[in-house]
Amino acid sequence: MAAFHPLVASRVRISPLLPAAAAATAPVYACAAMPYARRRRFSAIVATAAAAAAAASSATEFDFNTYMGEKAAAVNRALDASIPADEPPAALHEAMRYSLLAGGKRVRPALCLAACAVVGGREAWAMPAAAAVEMVHTMSLVHDDLPCMDDDDLRRGKPTCHVVYGEPIAVLTGDALLSLSFHHMARTDSYPPDVDADKHPARVVRSIGELARCIGSEGLVAGQVVDLEMTGSAEPVPIDRLEYIHLHKTAALLEASVVIGAILGGGSNEQIERLRMYARSIGLLFQVVDDILDVTKSSEELGKTAGKDLASDKTTYPKLLGLEKSREFAERLLSDAREQLSGFDKEKAAPLLHLANYIAYRQN
Amino acid sequence: MALSSLSSLSMSLPLQKLPSVSKSSRFMSIRAHSAAPAASPSFDLRRYWTSLIAEVESELDAAMPIRPPESIHSAMRYAVLPGAGNEGTAKRAPPVLCVAACELLGAPRAAALPAAVALEMLHAASLVHDDLPCFDAAPTRRGRPSTHAAYGTDMAVLAGDALFPLAYTHVISHTPSPDPVPHAILVRVLGELARAVGSTGMAAGQFLDLAGASALGEAEVMQVLTKKFGEMAECSAACGAMLGGADPDEEAALRRYGRTIGVLYELVDDLRSASGNGKMRSNASVLRALGMDRALGIVEELKAQAKTEADRFADKYGDRVRPLYSFVDYAVERGFELRDAAATP
Repeated sequence: MAAFHPLVASRVRISPLLPAAAAATAPVYACAAMPYARRRRFSAIVATAAAAAAAASSATEFDFNTYMGEKAAAVNRALDASIPADEPPAALHEAMRYSLLAGGKRVRPALCLAACAVVGGREAWAMPAAAAVEMVHTMSLVHDDLPCMDDDDLRRGKPTCHVVYGEPIAVLTGDALLSLSFHHMARTDSYPPDVDADKHPARVVRSIGELARCIGSEGLVAGQVVDLEMTGSAEPVPIDRLEYIHLHKTAALLEASVVIGAILGGGSNEQIERLRMYARSIGLLFQVVDDILDVTKSSEELGKTAGKDLASDKTTYPKLLGLEKSREFAERLLSDAREQLSGFDKEKAAPLLHLANYIAYRQN
Repeated sequence: MALSSLSSLSMSLPLQKLPSVSKSSRFMSIRAHSAAPAASPSFDLRRYWTSLIAEVESELDAAMPIRPPESIHSAMRYAVLPGAGNEGTAKRAPPVLCVAACELLGAPRAAALPAAVALEMLHAASLVHDDLPCFDAAPTRRGRPSTHAAYGTDMAVLAGDALFPLAYTHVISHTPSPDPVPHAILVRVLGELARAVGSTGMAAGQFLDLAGASALGEAEVMQVLTKKFGEMAECSAACGAMLGGADPDEEAALRRYGRTIGVLYELVDDLRSASGNGKMRSNASVLRALGMDRALGIVEELKAQAKTEADRFADKYGDRVRPLYSFVDYAVERGFELRDAAATP
């Protein structure tokens, strides 16, 4: 690419990421040569942190697992109901349902609902948006798995959409899910009757605009494009480029989830922007932790092939910075995210706080 | 799930029996008229359409600047904008229908133009995916390499994926709202656009086409045509109606009009291609399934239906209804070449 401007220039930069020196002197292939003993040691650090998080959560009397279970069930019900049941073509709707209801933790919808609640809204006001972000997420996975893209046969332990239904239907399924997400958000009858009749339409327009921007050619798609262009390149990816990819590929949709939740909940502009910063931090955190887990955990623990990044020579944070610095970076991102929540009511912010902890300390 | 109000319109184009007319005379009438001037004397459709193409394309051009990452933005422009000269020239029928519906109701063109531009983006996104090797495997589109042939299959998938959200972004940022277009109307327009390209609209048509429905009987063929082309045209007219402040009856009539025009236009295209008079089309099987007699009969029925819908507006809106009539005549007769018109405005 001739003129590449990293995202950090066009969007708010996530607070001082790393000392420049750390990036410059990082042992680029450190983990490729990492002896087994070192892998064990870092694995232990991640595990200890998880134990600490578990202890912290019991102290605040917030049962994160129950919370996530309830939200996932509610979101799954909304998703199931959102797909036209008795309208043809039945097979296309079946392919959509196959991809959309394949399980998953529903982290993005949970963030959307929690953001609505933290600004004082009712979660039900944001449920159509929570369903929409999961549809968009699913659509990006369906297209990502296509033979012309990542060419994956398995997703969450099940055959991917194009394996079951064929490529053309997988393309259409993705397109239809994308359209459904916007249609579902725009429909008046998606929302409960107690939304603020005067302000609700403007909020919906703003939310749809946020979602569209975050997933388009300057959001999610931009991340996929730059990632695609990096793949197969012999040169190591510089840290700012890696950050660009993650901020777009992963963080952008998390940002949309949180921001539209806050908009539909009636949050102030200041609250919305604080939550946007929170989402960007946890979005990047999500990917840094993913990279760390790939080199520290076994395939069995992850539920997917471990060491895949190394094997495919993919650029990762541990590769660029070393594991130790990657862990420090993750800690920094987590504390940045927490700081953005400090102005909110503690009790209402508990789900968002625990979601951030969960993303930081998850084991797979 | 509750279906949208228009579902009752879907699928069925009520086709009453027409007296059968000899195959050759019917067919000749279409061909004979194809060189005739537009039917409405005081309304110059060619000029109206041509000026709108120019407006739509300059707004499309401005809506898609080359930004980083350049590759994707370049692929998106390629999919939507015409190339140099005549190659890649599109008729832009959906935006013209959208603007005409809005102007019929006396509302300013500026209210409908952003939605008209969005329709082209959505339309292009569907075409890019429809041309993919795993679909129609079309190597060319509008006389030049299709998007995947020029940019690669992976980039074509992503360009389509990015054009869908760009359409919604464009409507939101450019429609004059909340004045004169209230937010509640804007939300309805966004929902209408999303529905038209979704699993019960255009995607349904593409799916049915894949499944080989157009090689079956009349009902299946009409269903493919209705979903693949009628839905988009209905959406165009409905968006124009909403943005122009239509009352529910007017909106419903314009929806029916749009849907009918969309199917009519496509069916005539198929007839012309089968007669060697138009561009090459892949789905000439439509004609095989219907038979020439029946196809010509349906053309007449659709034409009459569309004119009936336009008649509803004649008393109230006087001369402003003329574009609606002239679209019907153009759809059947193709009285002029827009390709040339677009090249020399």
